[in-house]
Amino acid sequence: MDAQRMEPRALEEMLRAALQDASFSRRRFLQLGGISIIGMSVVGTRLASEAAGPALYMEQATGIVIGDPTKCVGCRRCELACTEFNDGKAAPSVARVKVARNLNFGPKGVQAGQRGQGNWGDGLVVQDLCKQCRHPVPCATACPQGAIVAKPPTNARVVDAELCIGCKFCLYACPWEMLSFDRETGKAVKCSLCDGKPKCVEACPAESLRYVSWRDLTRQIPRRASADKRSRTAAGNRSGNQKHA
Amino acid sequence: MSAEGQDASNQQGKGEEGEGLRWEAASQAAIQVIRNRSGQGQLAAEEEILEELLALGLLEEDAANLSASLAEILSTASHTHDDLRTIPNQEGNKRYYSLQFMTETYARLLLQREGDPLQLIAEIVRENSALYPRPFPLGAFERTPFTMTREEIQRCLDQMSCHQAYQDIARTITSAGNVFLYSTLHLDPDYAATLAEWTDVGQHDNP
Amino acid sequence: MGSFGGWAGRVLRVDLSAGRIWAEDTIERYKDYLGGTGIGYKVLWDEVPADTHPYDPTNKIVFGTGPLAGTGAPCNGRTAITTLWPTCWPKPLVASGHMGGHFAAELKYAGYDALVIEGKADSPVWLSIEDQQVEIHDARGIWGQGIRRATIEISQMLGSEAVVAAIGQAGENLVPMSVVMNSVSHSAGGIGSVMGSKNLKAIGVRGTGSLRIAGAKEEWERVVKLHLSMLGANNQHVVPDSPQPWAEYYDPGSRWKASPGRKWGAAAPAIDTGTCDPHNFNRIAYRTNNAAFYLGDVAWKYTVRGNGCTGCPIRCHTLIKVPSAAAKYGIPEMGQNTCGGLNFGRSFFRTFPDGPKGEISVEASMVGMHLADDLGLWCNYSQLQRDFQKLYYDGTIRTKVGADEFKRYSWNQYEKGDPAFLFELLPRIATKEDELGTALGLGSGYLLERWSISEEEWKRDFGLQYWKLGHPKHHANEDAGQCGVIINTQYNRDPQCHSHPNFTRNGLPIAVQKRIAAEVWGSPDAVDAVKAFTPMNPGKARMAKWALLRKELHDSLSLCNWMGPWVASPLKERGYKGDDSIESLLYGLVTGDRKSREELDLTAERIFLLHRALTIRGMGTGQMRVRHDTVPEWVFADPEGKAAFTKGTNRMDRDDIAKAMDLFYQEMGWDKVSGAPTRAAYQRVGLAHVAQELAEKGLLPG
Repeated sequence: MDAQRMEPRALEEMLRAALQDASFSRRRFLQLGGISIIGMSVVGTRLASEAAGPALYMEQATGIVIGDPTKCVGCRRCELACTEFNDGKAAPSVARVKVARNLNFGPKGVQAGQRGQGNWGDGLVVQDLCKQCRHPVPCATACPQGAIVAKPPTNARVVDAELCIGCKFCLYACPWEMLSFDRETGKAVKCSLCDGKPKCVEACPAESLRYVSWRDLTRQIPRRASADKRSRTAAGNRSGNQKHA
Repeated sequence: MSAEGQDASNQQGKGEEGEGLRWEAASQAAIQVIRNRSGQGQLAAEEEILEELLALGLLEEDAANLSASLAEILSTASHTHDDLRTIPNQEGNKRYYSLQFMTETYARLLLQREGDPLQLIAEIVRENSALYPRPFPLGAFERTPFTMTREEIQRCLDQMSCHQAYQDIARTITSAGNVFLYSTLHLDPDYAATLAEWTDVGQHDNP
Repeated sequence: MGSFGGWAGRVLRVDLSAGRIWAEDTIERYKDYLGGTGIGYKVLWDEVPADTHPYDPTNKIVFGTGPLAGTGAPCNGRTAITTLWPTCWPKPLVASGHMGGHFAAELKYAGYDALVIEGKADSPVWLSIEDQQVEIHDARGIWGQGIRRATIEISQMLGSEAVVAAIGQAGENLVPMSVVMNSVSHSAGGIGSVMGSKNLKAIGVRGTGSLRIAGAKEEWERVVKLHLSMLGANNQHVVPDSPQPWAEYYDPGSRWKASPGRKWGAAAPAIDTGTCDPHNFNRIAYRTNNAAFYLGDVAWKYTVRGNGCTGCPIRCHTLIKVPSAAAKYGIPEMGQNTCGGLNFGRSFFRTFPDGPKGEISVEASMVGMHLADDLGLWCNYSQLQRDFQKLYYDGTIRTKVGADEFKRYSWNQYEKGDPAFLFELLPRIATKEDELGTALGLGSGYLLERWSISEEEWKRDFGLQYWKLGHPKHHANEDAGQCGVIINTQYNRDPQCHSHPNFTRNGLPIAVQKRIAAEVWGSPDAVDAVKAFTPMNPGKARMAKWALLRKELHDSLSLCNWMGPWVASPLKERGYKGDDSIESLLYGLVTGDRKSREELDLTAERIFLLHRALTIRGMGTGQMRVRHDTVPEWVFADPEGKAAFTKGTNRMDRDDIAKAMDLFYQEMGWDKVSGAPTRAAYQRVGLAHVAQELAEKGLLPG
């Protein structure tokens, strides 16, 4: 499969399924041979803009968490609060707010060396946060199961774990790589705004996160360059599905 | 009772009820002013509270005895809200603060800051010398919440050295060249010098 | 064996001689020792014979974390590193170093509670740990490079999120005064050369796993918030350094430095630290500014923000940006550290042209961090710098190094307080260049021996702060009278124990401290007012025992002993009391293994006694009182001749200290004459097998 282009047949079938609200099974996905990461994120970006739009409408989120990188002190308590107080485990790699991946060198990753951001660069720590995208929502649209829904009262885009089949389409669809895959549950995970009282905001010791009324950040914040795919996939892939005590 | 009498009585009842509500609202507003001020790190003066109540229309400007009304409002407030505290300044005027946002220590400091700066310096130095006990660095008077200038501080020290009431205020200089003040009522010179040196130099040399 | 939360479940073992990698079950082998130093002492006791040299391949080095590491428990980011100590003189004994940063958390997420390295690789290697995938790699390409290059090159291979613990040239060259460092600037002193002796350049870790919290998540959230509510600033100073509206007390010497007008001046734009009411958990990170504490108010304009370990809200590790230093010396603008690192460069100099806390001191701090944190040099709690000053100014260096070598240094520059001098000195220590470079890297004990200076001379000097075995004091009588003295007798390096000064320096009035002391240690007399020490009493012995046990508990659980214990708090409504059971609460909820405060302290005592046994076995004597638990002469004197127990002196009294040791040994249940634990003492904490081995060696009190 060409890493630069979408497999047209697979994309067409997936989109049709999404539009018709039909089921698109994991088996079918595997039969089609999967879809490239870059391809999916291209689709995601297109869907996040006005260019294309399936007919189904998702209610806009009423709130959003925003971050101030000049105040982030790189403690990762947001990530810990997110998973400990929601999932009962300390699992920063599936946290719904993402700081660790920018902590050392900034969003550009290790290639920035000592001239980037983060602890090795100028000290700025960019907090990656879910944009709670307006309709059409890339992750929700990509989901073949319709498992990502707007959940009242905040209308945060939330993964319904009972519907999720763990295909990871949503992970690849998000231009900012904000979704996580929890190996232990086999489900996708994303920011739910904690039903209006975000744990990350509460946990930050530097007032660097705020919960505010929703605003559209999808065109302000550049999509993630994915300079460091290895950090997300390689170790996980090499270790397979090994669990930890 | 006649219908008119009943009406009048009702009116009066409503009036009383209305009056009661206004009283309650005034008391609430007063405590809010005090809490807001305390939250900003300030004491509330009676004039400020009065101004707020007038602005909200909870008191009549031409009322007979504004002062007495205010006093009663504040008295009511302090009975219903146990965070409210009063502290008189040197002229005997009351200042108000809320324990929710401010400690008595800080309220006293603010009051002292309003008054005689010599008194302020002396009280801070004496309190530190007695309570912890430790001398107090002169440089701290330049910073918040004192924000005195170096010249002001020096003027005060000069005056204090001649003033009978402040003969207990003494100074010691650390090896880093910083001046600390202490009260000989509570600390002897040698002990004060050692404590100043510990605060200024020792704690850093023994990290 | 049940399934516990917190622990990752495996201890990673690497034998570099055989190239063998395997894992042990943490719970099966080490649960009774918790983690951290507990696992460290256990491995050293079971597996490393007494006469092993630190650089023998048979020496082992244990990177230990505990069940709380990597969780949201406040202040849990430290790794304890236990091994035979190269600077311990005259005979290496077991000791531990500690490093903060992100290593502990990442190791846990990778699935390991500890890492034990043994053997020696044939040629330079580095170790990668990516979740369950562990490999030994050829490090010849990065051997000879500094810590920074090694870290970045390994990050290029493992990804930006990898945590790399590396040694610099100092460790490679087997300079005893060397460190291992992770996450830019977080170092563990004393062990760099042990890694170097194994040809181990670095350990790169990437962990994507999780740690189970055994307790209900609502209960866990409640306890985390309880702990947060009791936190002060760095070193658990619970009052601000200036009057604040919310504060009843304040202390100009406090590390709680936030106040309106004090800004993180190099943040873009600047951020006012403001009023940090202790009830506001969202402002904890603004309380502390250690750059300002050590470098003076001049550092505020250079402060970018706080930094530090994973999961800790305190941010004691200040990040500073000093463009003027960068321009002047050709070094990076950024520097960061908590304490030793900030002082490394500046402590060499007697003073600077613009005073002890001016701009040049900041420059010296920056140059020091730039050099030392890349070369991987250790200061031994600034003993290196104190020794250097003394030996220079009393003419020893000139005599010992010879005229030719002496001429190679710009001593005028040094005497003037020119930070550029560090460029001449520090690299030479890292490369053991000639006499001075070699001698300074040995550690005080071996340095004195090499230059035929009696240790007694060092033990009499007030300024040198030397204690014994080649190491300085660390919070001794100047902080806590007899309690501090007792603590400093117990280890084989400086004790690295902050339980006691965290309390004595917390800034509360003495009456409040005494009230809390009465509750925690059974007597208000356990603490004295600063510099107004009173004769020894049982309360002080109890406090010393508590301080030592809690240090081991923290080092084994992964809690930061530079912040805990938490017996005091900033909360007026609590009477400024903290909670002496918070460790037990955290441990129980995370692991599901409910232990009361007393039960957990018993576990800590087991760990502490194992260290004692290691020392006894290592020294080959049970006569600890006279051979090990010694107190230097300067403790019993005063520069101005003041008498002990008068106000204004740190001076202790010999008989009183003898009584202090009596009471301490009694409190511990040890033999008073020898100072060694009895068989009963070992048995009480579950170390009967240790007692047996010592008995067979004739090292148990008769």
